[in-house]
Amino acid sequence: MSDRATPAGAPSSGAIHDIGYRHYDGPRLGAAYIRRSLFLDTLRGTYGLGRSARSKIVPLGLLALLALPALAVGIVTGYFGFGALPIGYTEYIFGFQVAVTIFVAAQSPAVMSRDLRFRVAALYFSRPLSRQQYVQAKYAGMAAALFLLMGLPITLLLAGALLAELPVDEQLPDYLRAMAGAALAALVLAGIGLFVAAMTPRRGLGVAAVVGVLLVLSGLQVTVMAMAYEFGNDTFTGYTGLISPYTLVDGVMSGVLGADSSIVEEPPGAVGAAVFVVAVVALVAACYAGLVARYRKALS
Amino acid sequence: MSLIRAEGLTMRFGSVTALDGLTLEVDPGITGLVGANGAGKSTLLKILLGLLPSTEGTAAVLDLDVAVDGPAIRERVGYMPEHDCLPPDVSATEFVVHMARMSGLPTTAARERAADTLRHVGLYEERYRPMGGYSTGMRQRVKLAQALVHDPSLVLLDEPTNGLDPAGRDDMLGLIQRIDSEFGISVIVTSHLLGELERVCRTIVVIEGGRLTRHSSTASVTAETAVVTVEVDDDHAALHARLTAAGITARSSGRVLQIDVADGSTYDVVRDAVAELGLGLVRMERQRHRMTEMFTDRPTTPGGVHV
Amino acid sequence: MTGGPLTGGPLNATVASLTSRSLLGRRRTFVLLLLPLALLALCTLARILGGLDSDIAAELDGPLSPDLLGAFGIAILMPLLSLIAGTGAIGPEIDEGSIVYLLAKPLNRHSIVVTKLLVAFGVVVAFGVVPIAVAGVVLTGELGSVTVAFTLGALAAGAAYASLFLLLAVITRNAVVVGLVYALVWESLIGGLVPGAQALSVQQWASAVVAEVLGDSAARLGVDSAVGFGTAMVLLVLVTVAATFYAGRRLQTLRISEA
Repeated sequence: MSDRATPAGAPSSGAIHDIGYRHYDGPRLGAAYIRRSLFLDTLRGTYGLGRSARSKIVPLGLLALLALPALAVGIVTGYFGFGALPIGYTEYIFGFQVAVTIFVAAQSPAVMSRDLRFRVAALYFSRPLSRQQYVQAKYAGMAAALFLLMGLPITLLLAGALLAELPVDEQLPDYLRAMAGAALAALVLAGIGLFVAAMTPRRGLGVAAVVGVLLVLSGLQVTVMAMAYEFGNDTFTGYTGLISPYTLVDGVMSGVLGADSSIVEEPPGAVGAAVFVVAVVALVAACYAGLVARYRKALS
Repeated sequence: MSLIRAEGLTMRFGSVTALDGLTLEVDPGITGLVGANGAGKSTLLKILLGLLPSTEGTAAVLDLDVAVDGPAIRERVGYMPEHDCLPPDVSATEFVVHMARMSGLPTTAARERAADTLRHVGLYEERYRPMGGYSTGMRQRVKLAQALVHDPSLVLLDEPTNGLDPAGRDDMLGLIQRIDSEFGISVIVTSHLLGELERVCRTIVVIEGGRLTRHSSTASVTAETAVVTVEVDDDHAALHARLTAAGITARSSGRVLQIDVADGSTYDVVRDAVAELGLGLVRMERQRHRMTEMFTDRPTTPGGVHV
Repeated sequence: MTGGPLTGGPLNATVASLTSRSLLGRRRTFVLLLLPLALLALCTLARILGGLDSDIAAELDGPLSPDLLGAFGIAILMPLLSLIAGTGAIGPEIDEGSIVYLLAKPLNRHSIVVTKLLVAFGVVVAFGVVPIAVAGVVLTGELGSVTVAFTLGALAAGAAYASLFLLLAVITRNAVVVGLVYALVWESLIGGLVPGAQALSVQQWASAVVAEVLGDSAARLGVDSAVGFGTAMVLLVLVTVAATFYAGRRLQTLRISEA
């Protein structure tokens, strides 16, 4: 929109087909559209789409690493006529959590570092998108990418089970629970990964820091749980799941949705389940708030 | 309609006062914003973009209140930051298309506008390469392109000629002039280099220590003064004496004489005096103000608000 | 390698101080501290619980301590620490292109690599090997064979990892991710599935060292390795030396470009 007379259409010298500067009278879609665009761009960027070929190797490689064995399990089930899947939906993801951890670690800096390290953030904030909407779009993009990473293998397992003619009504509840777990895990992991990555603009250090945090929490949880188990206090053992994001989500799934737990002890009773749920919500909210605060500094 | 209106704008960060009762009105066209680092220019730009709420005072950009209509302002304004802000692994085209979409343009329109804008700023084949390999000149052009791609009514350019060699600076200034004259978009330019602002800006705003100290049109600042410089090849002391005797005020300044011109007859008197003394006249030249005088002279109007 | 203030022989004090300053920057040090602190906290907790419960105390004298020191210390702590230190010793400089200042000096490329490697190794020892030794003492209550065995194992692992990851940082910009994939996916995931892969695993070599030092009690404590001690030592030395040498070679033909 311009409120001054435009010398539009005046050809500049030397170029035959130069039609001069044209004003834009088309639609300007609001912040909701912008946020959705940023979300999609972030999601695509996490898998390296729209970027260089080299940036596709790790994410797509990890996706293949997670998906192909699931495919194989499905085929094997059908071939040998098993009565049930040899490995449960949630068990599978739990077993491959290292791959998921690497994905979060490798791609979180890719999502964050471009804007922070190269200070593109100033360009985003001089546009109609607010800081909160920006963080929402990025967070959602990363979470969606992780959901895809975990959801695809789970779905492939289901496909394999159905092809092996296992009864649908047996498979479906477990499948849905596993997908819900994947969604929750995606939210939690995305929050942790993006928050830690946003703390350091250095890409290499960001990767190592995210891995460090996730692995340390995992290792701590396993060890503390083992010791608590030895110690013989079931309540305490049940709460050790709070330490690591994977077991935290698993705790919610088993406590609230009644899934079989992949860790030894489930959260004790309704109180335990409630604590786990609150912990998840608090963690996600804290990561979101931390990211918004981080970008307050990036306004310049 | 005025482009920008600010009334008593004050910004305090704890004990630091970045802006102190700034009141100004900017008209459409190219306006230069001059001030040392820390004088409050960046703070002012952030407030005008609706990104920073001021401690006191009000401001309006394009008749939109910065406190309330921030997103609407940012829809219509383009911003080119001073610092580096381009990721190295993306091409200019991709980046500008992305930024166009971030301003609300639908994808097809974004691609068209990006192509157009990149052409207008003078990036052709290079636009498909990753920006990591660009020269400073190319980078500044991309930054300018992303500020223009959504067809704003006003662009804020923060030190656009930073890091450019003289030829590059000329190119950039030429572009800025075209933005105003051909594209019909108003411009606010900040710069440390006064010479550039002289060439390009119609109006100058000076901010010192968070206060507006000068606001004048370049024309008036560099207007012709009623002073003539006379240089002769020999004894100008005698000429000085002769002119003073004839009632003309003259000051000696090194090898030349500065003569106050009352009316057209002064020239005749000078010419006759020189001829009678048998001196050779090297030059007789009307003086123009330079912008630098704005910083060496003290403000002449009370409060230094408007000139 | 000639002597003199500029070339400084096989080591160079300026390179060393620059590297250590960049390695011990605020954020990096914070992450570096995170890991040993977690280990020590865990061991202290175990010790406290051991004091409260005799079952746990028995476990501590048995397989639990080696488990902790091995699974947490050598399997998680050492690779991560070496990754941060090894890639951090040269990665950021290459990334930002400031390595060119170093390369423009008449410094022997190998001496640059060796100096940086030694600084990185120093960091690994300070933040990894020493805490493991301390953890061993905390867990077992004495400076016994368990502590010594795992300290030496950690030392071996640290040397091999640091040199490998430094080399990676010279070769590729994504050194950290590649290193992670190696340490986590190759060594544990695939190594658990494909026996042959275990022969090419620093973890296994370190375990062989630990097993050797523990001697007869290795089996009782649940420590074993897929490779014999001799093989492990040969591979450790070979890999460390080869990686260091190759890194120096690659530095000579380094291409510095954006993206």
